[in-house]
Amino acid sequence: MTTLAAAQKAPLDSRTGKPRRPRHPYRAALATARGRTGLGLVLLVVLAGLLAPLLAGHGPTDQSALALAGPGTPGHPLGTDDLGRDLLARLLHGIRADLGIIAVAVPLGAVLGCLLALAAACHPLADTVVQRAFDLVLAFPGLILALAVTAILGPGRVPVILVIALAEIPVFGRLLRTGILVQRGREYVTAARVGGTSGGRILTRHILPNAADPLVVQFAVSLTVAVFIEGAMSFLGVGVRPPEPTLGAVLSQSMPYLAQAPHFAAGPLVTVTALVLGLSLTAEALSREIRR
Amino acid sequence: MTETRPSTPTAPTRRATLRAAGGGALLLGLGVTGCRSAVSEAGSPAGEAGEAGKASTEPRRGGTLSVAVNADFTPSLLFAQSAQSLQQRLIYNTLTRYDDRLKPQPELATSWEYAKDGRSLTLALRTGVTFHDGRPFTADDVIFAVENLQSPLRAAQLRATAAVVTGFEKRGDHELVLKLAHPVNNLFDLFEFMIIADRNSVEDAVTGKRLNGTGPFRLTRWSPGSGLSLRRNETYWRPGRPYLDGVELRVVPQADALLSSLRTGQSQLSFSVPGKNLSVVAATPELAISQYSTGGGAVYLGVNTTVAPLDDKTVRQALAWAIDRERILKQVLGGYGLASAAPWPKSSPAFTEAGRTHYTHNPGKARELLRSAGHTRLDLPLLHVNLPGETAVAEAVQYDLRQIGVHVTLQPTDSAAAQKNLISQNMPGLWTMGHGFAQVQPSTLAVSAYPFNEAKNTSRFRSAAYTKVVREAWTGPAEGARANALREKITDTLLDEAFIIDLAIRGSVQVSARKLHGVTLNKFTYLNLDDAYLAG
Repeated sequence: MTTLAAAQKAPLDSRTGKPRRPRHPYRAALATARGRTGLGLVLLVVLAGLLAPLLAGHGPTDQSALALAGPGTPGHPLGTDDLGRDLLARLLHGIRADLGIIAVAVPLGAVLGCLLALAAACHPLADTVVQRAFDLVLAFPGLILALAVTAILGPGRVPVILVIALAEIPVFGRLLRTGILVQRGREYVTAARVGGTSGGRILTRHILPNAADPLVVQFAVSLTVAVFIEGAMSFLGVGVRPPEPTLGAVLSQSMPYLAQAPHFAAGPLVTVTALVLGLSLTAEALSREIRR
Repeated sequence: MTETRPSTPTAPTRRATLRAAGGGALLLGLGVTGCRSAVSEAGSPAGEAGEAGKASTEPRRGGTLSVAVNADFTPSLLFAQSAQSLQQRLIYNTLTRYDDRLKPQPELATSWEYAKDGRSLTLALRTGVTFHDGRPFTADDVIFAVENLQSPLRAAQLRATAAVVTGFEKRGDHELVLKLAHPVNNLFDLFEFMIIADRNSVEDAVTGKRLNGTGPFRLTRWSPGSGLSLRRNETYWRPGRPYLDGVELRVVPQADALLSSLRTGQSQLSFSVPGKNLSVVAATPELAISQYSTGGGAVYLGVNTTVAPLDDKTVRQALAWAIDRERILKQVLGGYGLASAAPWPKSSPAFTEAGRTHYTHNPGKARELLRSAGHTRLDLPLLHVNLPGETAVAEAVQYDLRQIGVHVTLQPTDSAAAQKNLISQNMPGLWTMGHGFAQVQPSTLAVSAYPFNEAKNTSRFRSAAYTKVVREAWTGPAEGARANALREKITDTLLDEAFIIDLAIRGSVQVSARKLHGVTLNKFTYLNLDDAYLAG
């Protein structure tokens, strides 16, 4: 594999005077305050979701006669919702459900987008077809796409995953295609071609690794977008089917009670904010280090 | 191929990040401050039927009333009762209207007389009434209205009653004799239900292009998805009425948006506030809550009796014992209504306390019945309308059924599709919806409402005994010992067969601005604004 980093002249170590091995940009990004804070917030939320069955003292759909109990109620640290369900349990399981969706949907969209970009790079005709397909998907704003998909498939987890993946395919596809086009004109590619390396091998072993960095940043950004799309779909009632909690669904249920029971909305709002903030900080830190 | 270099995706800048972080907080802040601005004093207690409608000031002419509704007008269901029937009595009139004791009062029919054998009814019709296009109202319009409801195309719930009218005898333009195939005791239910529409434009009416009636308001615009705009009918047959210049029916599907619309004064009237949100309304001094005690509808769990194992009566009874009706009433309906296993509101002659409490919350008994039917676990689908109140009912039912081993998968469905499934008997194993028709003559429920219709109901339940008792109750007298005995038999059959499992009777709950007076509903939730006005 040819990497551009290796081709650049490395700075000298002030102690030894030998060329200093450059720090990998990902590690460098995560060593910054911004990266650490972002990753910390994301890990906190992810951990809460993963440990939901252990942390929650109740089932997320268990109802009781105790409706709209305030925070600090014995047995219900965050209170209860309108049907007497424990808000902590619904919040933690909501995180779990959200993570489950975005953990499938975003990689799915990324993989499909990248595969299409690679196909487009192989032949001009394929490139035209793929670009027009991307145009078609991008012509629909995320929520319109969501409403269209759920109108056909009905609400549920699979349609949410499908919508997020569909929305991400052209984003990753366009990004990788642009990267491939640029790298293809570089000298190391010409050298590899002159050396007799096959087109496929040049693409996968030489070009792809050098075009991948922007995808990593995009991945973090896309996770953020996925949280919003899931939340918006559940908020509009076309997301995951009730009574399964998601952050958007709990937020949607809480809206009529904002004045009466603001704690109902506080949990999902704080969690979404922390998750989005964490992912955004991580993405920004990665972006800065990669561009450096 | 215009892109020349790879671009690292635009990662969020610090400003964007802060914006994202602040977005959530802003949303909460806006919601809280927006709501609190209107919640500063103690709430108002719920009044009884139409309390808010009683005038305390001199009627004031003028103003446009905005009514918030959660579903749009469905023109194809103009002649059937649909989720949204408020506009019916605004654009059209009916022949008669019931008072609180189910005694018919004049509307377009000014008087009536039954023949001694009960096989004909002579109607005197109001003179000087014109349609919005200026055409005079005559007996021919009544003949058309009855024949129109007899058509299966109209899917009218009271079609069976309309079909009893087998002949007409016109005596001039304003006297009409209806000849009946056999006596029925719910003809005035038909007159309460049947709108008198212009016979020349009925096909335009069922597509929403033109609604021509004799009512107090004329349609100026229907914007699908947004609502209806109505202006005062200056030639209305009631002198000096209506007081209002116009009415806007605004579609606000989201419960919280609907609530905000009322609390901020954008709308002054709604019957669509979910029960569980009424406590918020009660805490808003500018708004009043009124209940129509006759019961505008009931929440029920429907059972498709052709789906195994729901074809077994014991399983259906187990479901009926499993549900905690009182909790649904309290948590979902906000306490406005009556937990009941039978469909009848307290105002109905068929209401009995024994019927209301026939099934109570008894999961132990439910499990026992389920076991006796050979089941320990069932997996069933449950369709519900995708609105907050209806979703909450479905979630509560789902939870209660899970306690006895019945695992239910919810199928959220939009209102129009659910109604279509109801009419076409295309429901899954279980569904939750609301039904009307128990607030008028009890026989009407069993011959007209889709879920209960003895001849063709949504549950696909068939029983010769049920048909027999319903037919007897329908064609027999409306009052007396025999009538009571037949009603009791109908109730017993409904409770025993449990193809419709009633959960709670909810009256129509009216939320209105305190400055609004004179609002009434008829028994089929047709909004009557003849005497309504907005005080200054």
